[in-house]
Amino acid sequence: MQRGNNNMNIESTAQQAPVCDAVTLEVVRGALRASQSEMEALIERTAMSAFIREKKDFFVALFDAEGDMIVGAYRPTFGDPVRPLFEHYPVDDMRPGDLYWYNDCYGSKGSVSHSPDQVFVAPVFVDGELIAFAQSWAHFADIGGMRPGSISPDCTDIFQEGIIVPPVRLAREGVVNEELLRIFYRNSRFPDISQGDTRACFAAVRLGERRIVELAERFRREVITDAFRQLAERSQQAATERLRATFAPGQYRFTDALDHDGQGNGPYKLSLELSVDDNGVVLDFSDSDDQAPGPINYLVNPAVPRAMIAMYLLAGDPTLLLNAGAGRAIDKVILREGSVLQPRWPAPLGQRGLTMMRLLSASMGLVNAAGGDATAANCAYVIYFARGIADNGEPFLLTDGIGVGYGARPYADGINAVYYVAQENYPAELVELSYPARIRAYGIHCDSGGPGLWRGGCGVVREIELLAEKAIFSIRIDGVDKPAWGVHGGRNGGSGRAVVNPGTPQERELEPFSDGNVLVRGDILRLETGGGGGWGHPFDRDPALVLSDVLGSYVSRDAAERDYGVVLKPDDETVDDAATIARREDRPTVDGMFHRGTYRDVLE
Amino acid sequence: MSENAGMRFAVAVDTGGTFTDVTLFDRDRGQMWTAKTPSTPDDPSRGFMNGIEAALQQASLSPSDLSQVFHGTTVATNLILEGKGDKVGLLTTAGFKHVLEIGRQDIPRRVNLFAWIKPTRPVPPERILEIPERLDAQGGVLTELNEDAVRDAARTLRDRGVNAIAVCFLNSFVDPKHELRAGELVREEHPDALLSLSSDVLRVFREYERSIATVLNVYVMPAVSRYVAQLAERLAEADAVAPLLIMKSNGGVVGAGEVERVPAHTALSGPAAGVVGARFIGEAAGFKDVIGIDIGGTSADICLIKDGNYDLTNNGRIGEWPLSFPMLDINTVGTGGGSIARVSDTGALTVGPASAGANPGPACYGNGGEEPTVTDAHLVLGHLPSYLLGGTMQLDVEAARAAVERQVAQPLGLGVEEAARGILSISDNDMVGAIRVISVERGHDPRDFALIAFGGAGPLHGGSLARLLGARTVIIPPHPGVLSAMGLLVSQFRADYARTCLEVPPEYDHARMATTFDELEAEATQWFERERVPNAARTLTRHVSLRYRHQGFELNVPWAGNAVTPETTDKTLDAFHALHEQLYTFAQRDTPVEIVTLHVTAEGSLPQPRLTERPSGGTLEEARVDQQTIHFEGGTQSVPVYDRDKLSAGISFPGPALVVQLDSTALIHPDQHVTCDRFGNLIAETR
Repeated sequence: MQRGNNNMNIESTAQQAPVCDAVTLEVVRGALRASQSEMEALIERTAMSAFIREKKDFFVALFDAEGDMIVGAYRPTFGDPVRPLFEHYPVDDMRPGDLYWYNDCYGSKGSVSHSPDQVFVAPVFVDGELIAFAQSWAHFADIGGMRPGSISPDCTDIFQEGIIVPPVRLAREGVVNEELLRIFYRNSRFPDISQGDTRACFAAVRLGERRIVELAERFRREVITDAFRQLAERSQQAATERLRATFAPGQYRFTDALDHDGQGNGPYKLSLELSVDDNGVVLDFSDSDDQAPGPINYLVNPAVPRAMIAMYLLAGDPTLLLNAGAGRAIDKVILREGSVLQPRWPAPLGQRGLTMMRLLSASMGLVNAAGGDATAANCAYVIYFARGIADNGEPFLLTDGIGVGYGARPYADGINAVYYVAQENYPAELVELSYPARIRAYGIHCDSGGPGLWRGGCGVVREIELLAEKAIFSIRIDGVDKPAWGVHGGRNGGSGRAVVNPGTPQERELEPFSDGNVLVRGDILRLETGGGGGWGHPFDRDPALVLSDVLGSYVSRDAAERDYGVVLKPDDETVDDAATIARREDRPTVDGMFHRGTYRDVLE
Repeated sequence: MSENAGMRFAVAVDTGGTFTDVTLFDRDRGQMWTAKTPSTPDDPSRGFMNGIEAALQQASLSPSDLSQVFHGTTVATNLILEGKGDKVGLLTTAGFKHVLEIGRQDIPRRVNLFAWIKPTRPVPPERILEIPERLDAQGGVLTELNEDAVRDAARTLRDRGVNAIAVCFLNSFVDPKHELRAGELVREEHPDALLSLSSDVLRVFREYERSIATVLNVYVMPAVSRYVAQLAERLAEADAVAPLLIMKSNGGVVGAGEVERVPAHTALSGPAAGVVGARFIGEAAGFKDVIGIDIGGTSADICLIKDGNYDLTNNGRIGEWPLSFPMLDINTVGTGGGSIARVSDTGALTVGPASAGANPGPACYGNGGEEPTVTDAHLVLGHLPSYLLGGTMQLDVEAARAAVERQVAQPLGLGVEEAARGILSISDNDMVGAIRVISVERGHDPRDFALIAFGGAGPLHGGSLARLLGARTVIIPPHPGVLSAMGLLVSQFRADYARTCLEVPPEYDHARMATTFDELEAEATQWFERERVPNAARTLTRHVSLRYRHQGFELNVPWAGNAVTPETTDKTLDAFHALHEQLYTFAQRDTPVEIVTLHVTAEGSLPQPRLTERPSGGTLEEARVDQQTIHFEGGTQSVPVYDRDKLSAGISFPGPALVVQLDSTALIHPDQHVTCDRFGNLIAETR
């Protein structure tokens, strides 16, 4: 090859060469990812809410000057968190060293979707010009409200869910408005924790700000800005191409439903429609049910369903960032005001996590219905809150998230016993050191994974003994009446339940989504969580895998025979091949694409 | 000489994937011999002994002349990474059969949840047997140990041919009595089994992490025991009487017997030796603040040394698994000389983690490799001469160019040199990201550190990494490819002891902490006795892990003094606040601090070698062996090539230049100026 690089460059400049070349683009992408990791590590190590530090319920992201997300986590949970600031603080009025803060769900059009989530945003200036925003977000343990932990299934409006902070300027040119923070801390039942969490989020945003400035110093400001543009475009292009390749023009529908709203109303239907035609790609959720009196309402920002579909489309290529560009593959999102996915102020929103998880699975249902190869449904993660007074006289709040089973994939089993992306459990030994509680058992919920050629992930069993005089438990389990659906012959996953003192004369079942459950010293709460849906006909599952599931206590011997047609020999350790072949001749027929137990007909 | 070996001759053997590096050192004269022999993966003890014999031959010595044999091994690491350990059974507390499967119940932050598949655990649930027993968090017995259940479990595992057994009961970090008794019962029922108790392996809280550590320990135990026995046998056959000392992940060595007991401590044995070597070279060259970067074929291992000390972490990972032993804080990134460059369908250029390995190797090796690697990019740009390993291996420049052209330049519309520079930019950037993790994220500014570039490919990247980091100095040790072996030679005995002992403010129980420290020191002293470390050579130091109340992540600080009093406690807390501020930009002095885990570090010093001084007085011209064309970003230049062995002390020269030697090639950039110090280190300063 001749040394003609310079000439080549001149030629390509003629057809408008990008300011940021292909190599620099990857360097910038790597550096943005690294900055994000640093910000995350800082929060993880310094935050004080168990929610943040063990469950990792936090999120950092970097945005371009327009407020479009360029890099964030692989989690379609977030709206459009920077733009809500512009209404109150025009960009021209922002200065280096400023810091903005809010948790106002309705005021941010669902960019934050329940009040415990605090959003902090810092504008990033280079050479006096605003080029980006750094943001952190975390779930604070308590911001006031009706009950410790702020959110409760009993809430009937958003005022009961803690203090509401509209978009405010928390710092001006580096000077923090401590008065605002004093009001905020005063409204928390655990002010020292709130303070620690605020410091952690602050520090992370400042770190992100510094990293972008350094990056702009290393390259040029225009190069960074152009890199942002290209990273968004690349994701958009890939998502658009894959979307067109996956979905033939047409209209597709999928409907799913939540059990109830925590107050006995329901079920609540989520109706999703996708239309693909020459005019564009439109998601329409307006047929969903009206908003609920209870707190399962989910104020959906249009960026969220965009990201849900995009995340499916981008799977398999880690160089593609899940960002605003990827979301642009969908041209339009239609939501109906007054529906459970677009409630009117001041409807309560605290338990929207259930609706979000349902919506994520329903999006995969829509992809399946439209001809894609998506997963079966996940079960929505489970959480309980226990509040009381420990024997040393101090109030305690235990918020314990419990894993569930995720949906089976066209190529693999669903994931067993996980909560959500980057959210960890409390080890039993941590609970026993830190709270008046003892974990008596913690294992896999046998037979909860939806049977299929690929099995749905199994849920979890966790038994908690109370070691304080008395405590009030709030419990959140959805998918009891309407478990996670299976697809392409796969069956639905098992359901969860909550029972006190199982196997004793005092045994009593609790309403799985409820608050105000009183337990006293020595009571044992057993929580069983649901599994994911199966994929493909269970009679097609390799008998060796079924055997392995029985040996590992994921599937019972009876279920192996009943659901999978696999018969074991009396030793329980080998497959009876002849009996299995005979049993599998009597293969149950499956009609329709989805299997959702008894509630199927209600929805279709 | 053979009659009285004394402490004169020490040999170090660093077994890598492809080569075994051996360094033999004469402590009296400061003379060093090195040998590089092929590794023998089918029986690594063969390569180990071949290497020793090759080095002894050069020095005209026999095995009986050796006073110590130091060894860094990747046997445990590879078993864990490749999932090829032994069939293990685990006894756990009733109700916790799925402790491994559940793990921390999370989906990793960086993955797409639709596509992620949970890694298969090293022990399936059917080999995890539940034992009725239970302690509370204070060590009180809630349920007595069911001895019949333990016997049944041991027999069941024996009958199923499971000969490696781990025991991890809940809250055993507080009191190991049930584990100890269970261990006795297992031994009675299944005397041939190898056994590992969690309270013995890692006595700290968090049951998943402790279970995994215990399981992995016994998972690698049979193979490591076999391996250590083979090494001992080979040495004995050769009439060597020297003790075999093995590098642990914490940067210290222990006798082979200790390794057989807790083999998982060797999980980072290989890279740890490099860190110790980097510290030694840094100090010899007069730098106490250094960042070591060890670039091999598939990965780069990065460490930071501040004031001559390296950091330990309790949050290490090996592959998919957390391994909470104290380990050197080494950050590994999947970028090395063999890392493959690819362009995705959407036009993204990535380098690694896929590697061409030793076979086929980079395209320029001419063994059928079609994909361009980092090494190919260097060759295209002229950073490497066309021969390697002292002329024994010819490199195919055209094959390298063709691979870069076809796989990277054409898809991206770049020239070949531009594409090659792109590959190096991406790989440098990945390494810079990894360096930032152990520097900036730990509160250090990399500009204040000198880089020590080692491993076969390190000296090719040192200059560009220094520029990206803003570091002024790059140190290239005399034998970059065998620095790990050097690290082994200069290592000390070291063992770490820890126990979780939660103390909640405002009432710290000073007496309880003092007792726990004493118990840990007693354990440490027993170990000193086993290793026959003389009294004068022993050092014990106390540390604590602390956190603010409500935090979940602890920081490790030295205990202020030896006594446990309110005064020393306060001083220790002050150090914690200061460290928190340094690392995380803020401290919360009003928030109560919890004391979580107490640690004792035991060190036993070994005689330290002195480096030989290199003769001075030669001229630069004598060292100049060739001229090479290099494509720098600013243009193509013809640069001198120097033979490393002919550069005498005190010589200095400006970049650009190439310095070639048997185990490595160094690229000196146009803005660097090099001085050869009295030990033969090349000190490259940015002008």
